[in-house]
Amino acid sequence: MKNTLLTIVTILAFLFQSNAQQFITKSGNISFYSDGPLEKIEAHNNQVNSALNTESGDMVFKVLMKSFVFEKALMQEHFNENYVESDKFPSSTFKGKVVNVKEIDFTKNGTYDVAIEGKLTIHGITEDVKEKGTFEVSKEGIHGMAKFDIAIADYNISIPGAVTGKIAEEIEISVNVMLKPYKK
Amino acid sequence: MKNWLKVIGFAIIVGSIGLTYAWFFIYNKPHDDIEKAKPDYIISATECYQHYVAGKNNELENYTGTVLQIVGVPTSIEKNDSLAVIVFAFDSGMYGDEGIRCTMLPSHNEKANNISLSEKVTIKGYCSGYNDTDVILEQCSIINNNN
Repeated sequence: MKNTLLTIVTILAFLFQSNAQQFITKSGNISFYSDGPLEKIEAHNNQVNSALNTESGDMVFKVLMKSFVFEKALMQEHFNENYVESDKFPSSTFKGKVVNVKEIDFTKNGTYDVAIEGKLTIHGITEDVKEKGTFEVSKEGIHGMAKFDIAIADYNISIPGAVTGKIAEEIEISVNVMLKPYKK
Repeated sequence: MKNWLKVIGFAIIVGSIGLTYAWFFIYNKPHDDIEKAKPDYIISATECYQHYVAGKNNELENYTGTVLQIVGVPTSIEKNDSLAVIVFAFDSGMYGDEGIRCTMLPSHNEKANNISLSEKVTIKGYCSGYNDTDVILEQCSIINNNN
């Protein structure tokens, strides 16, 4: 009887630990901003999928390009049709690792600096990226935040000749995700 | 008045009208009102999910970028900040439940929070595609509850 009880407790503890390693969200936010001579461009996406394995540090993001919302409908049309070609390349992804994951105590509330490395795919082009961000660990989960710049030319996104020099060649990307423990 | 002055005056008036039109109706044209838009497709939630999972979304029948009206029995309602999301789950994977996620217009949040999870509901929204786990519908409105 004692052995059976011990086995059950061990299995439950293992399951609890396994579940606690995976944190997910399907409603993360990614926004981008650029301030060019012609106009400022800003868009938000609140439908971002993200998962983090706190044991291995593996982290993924996936976002549908047609979920980006712009202030101006015309900008949104141009973004989807002429710049990122959303019909041809419907999503962007990041697959990488939190390289300093062992330095983060996910059982202790607090703010931790994180270094993330991986592959970012936009417009069908994959580039290696190394960025910094923060994790705020709390009882609600892990609040991940990062802000970084990318050059749109790196992702083969061409700016029409008529507006070359009037639209910023780099855009600032902000990531804001509230990752919660995955319960099966 | 000399003829060339009349021509210039006419050109200025026509140009001004053109610029005003372009400013208001092209550059600053409003976003489509999905709540009032006529749906491009009316299907069941199951059909919609299976369409994407089976890889049937193609040029001939492409739901992405269209206004979809779906009917089905929701499995959960999520509240994220000020957004309500009605979920139709059909499967499970690395991100948890997989199915259709309908983000409601703020004006439909209250209705969304009051729907019953045992009753059919009809929802209309803009389909932004399938992210390999879920079909995403945005700016959704509840058409009616079908008991």
